[in-house]
Amino acid sequence: MDVIISTLATFWLLLALFFVLIKKGLWIFNDVAKGLSMFMLEKALGPAIDFVSGRSGSSSSTWIIHGLIWAFAASTFTFIGLWLSHDSSALHSFESWGYHPDSSELIYAGRLTALFGAIGMLVVGASLYSLPRLCGTHLASESNATLVSLLWTLSVLLMFVGSQNAVIAGITILPIANLLLTLASTALVINLILTVSEATQEIPFPGWLIVFAFVGNIAAVLAVFISGAFDEGVGQWLLFHLAGGTFFFCGVAGVSLYSVSVGSGNPLWSKSLVAFTLFGAVITINPMGSTDSSMVVDLFSLTSNELAPSSRDVISGSFLMALSAIPIIAFSANMLVTMRGSDAFVENPDSPGIAELNLGAWMLIPIAIGSLFVQTDALGGVNELNGISQSLDLMAIWLVMMPLSVGAALNVLPRASGRHQLSASRSRWAFWMMSGGAFLGLLITLMSDFTDMALTESMAEQGSSINQELRKVGSVMFYGAVIGAIFHCTNTISGQYRGRIMGDVSQASLSSIAIESYSLTGPTTIRKILASGANLDTEVSPSEQSEEKGSATEL
Amino acid sequence: MSIEVPSSVDEFIQGEKEPASSGVVVVLGFVSMLSFLILYGILFPGRDMPVISEVLPMFEGVFDSGIWFFLLGVIFGAFSIIATMLTEATSE
Repeated sequence: MDVIISTLATFWLLLALFFVLIKKGLWIFNDVAKGLSMFMLEKALGPAIDFVSGRSGSSSSTWIIHGLIWAFAASTFTFIGLWLSHDSSALHSFESWGYHPDSSELIYAGRLTALFGAIGMLVVGASLYSLPRLCGTHLASESNATLVSLLWTLSVLLMFVGSQNAVIAGITILPIANLLLTLASTALVINLILTVSEATQEIPFPGWLIVFAFVGNIAAVLAVFISGAFDEGVGQWLLFHLAGGTFFFCGVAGVSLYSVSVGSGNPLWSKSLVAFTLFGAVITINPMGSTDSSMVVDLFSLTSNELAPSSRDVISGSFLMALSAIPIIAFSANMLVTMRGSDAFVENPDSPGIAELNLGAWMLIPIAIGSLFVQTDALGGVNELNGISQSLDLMAIWLVMMPLSVGAALNVLPRASGRHQLSASRSRWAFWMMSGGAFLGLLITLMSDFTDMALTESMAEQGSSINQELRKVGSVMFYGAVIGAIFHCTNTISGQYRGRIMGDVSQASLSSIAIESYSLTGPTTIRKILASGANLDTEVSPSEQSEEKGSATEL
Repeated sequence: MSIEVPSSVDEFIQGEKEPASSGVVVVLGFVSMLSFLILYGILFPGRDMPVISEVLPMFEGVFDSGIWFFLLGVIFGAFSIIATMLTEATSE
């Protein structure tokens, strides 16, 4: 049976239905539905809703801070998982407490907390600020969005617990975590659709990317269950990649495209490329992510089945994954060209997050191409490249999704909260530590994976010692990501209280030796201006001169 | 005619800003401590360090992997995040 096409047909149909409903509404039931939804979001929650602030931008700030703290947790779990892959007894002392730390379990915990905790919360946080702006309106319920962040965090916490101990007191933890996450997602979708319904202008494509990120995820789950594919290995694999292509890819793309334009001050380079990104993301299958779809099996409490696609599934799946190169390249090119020529890079502290967005846009294409090879290999049943699947999955998380979501969030946060980060210097350090640590650490781990694959292929009796050394170096390098995440957390939290107020130019972000402004009294060269201590952020103010004949000053 | 200048203000005075050189004093203290520990090893070779040599065996088999150096950093980072939250929220 052709599982992929039949499931995708249901998915596309559901998306079309969602789109029509969002655009046309519910005919005469519109007002009733809106009133009822607003009641459910606020009044129905009783006194709980009064505990949170309803200030504009407060929900976005809350989600982003939660997301950054989860980034710290995720990087720690991944680091420990990478370390235990070469030194499995490093934490054996925990066994006296009944806890048996295992490399694969900790990397799994790292993946869950990075995807749903860090990237998920950062994307939602940035969306809650950017979508209302793109619609020319306000968020329907700030209070509900803030409150829901606690529910989401609780679900991610349960995911971590469930990844280490699947069943506690006879209760399977991960499906409960997924249930809470679904509840939080439903509240967010209602909130965002209500916001879109109050749009005062035509919604630009990045706004639609954000909308499709939320409704696409629901449509993907419904499509797999309606078509009955949830019980087959191919269906589970497809759900994993459809969720990756909608919530993660569309969400990250939407907030990144918004942030890159706002942060660099340049208009988005191409509207058609955003359209390609949007339609391509929902029509094709995103290849990024692991070949192992056990995350879907665990979260939905399904029976795990082997990935055994029919020949038609292999052809359609491989073709649709190859097609995903179009939205991926379109998105990356649009990001990079929009950033051009405005000095919006890491040296410019007034454009926070741009460096991360730049890194994510650069890394997207090589990692997507690598993932395409690995996924096609797995779908075709060859499994020759299965050995690098985990490292490529981690690279997609830490070098594409994480930088793009952190970049967008850092760009949005000062606008949402009204305050900049505490220190531009610490922000710069955080970027270099996080990106350098993740890049070098995972690249070296990937080298070790290749060595492992070569040794397995040659049927060597003894493993290579250099392989263990590489894994050791890789895990130590990845520690930079942990340090970077700590820097981001402390810088952001302090910035909320003591950061420079947005729009306040009294404390220009210059170094102690640079001059803040330079008065231009006559024609001069750029060399002379630079020689006077000016830098690229110095404001050059021409002094007004008059060629008119002088006369007595009137008193 | 002479002006009387009080020899003291009879009040406790403390500067608001921390002098940059105070950090140097702390580092100097740490370096001295390490130097004395090394000196102990040179002067009394093969002899256990008092107190420390009795405490350390308690942790034998616990912190016996290099990962603990890194986890110490993680713990320090986690506490710095919590401390930042608490101090920023409660400071004037």
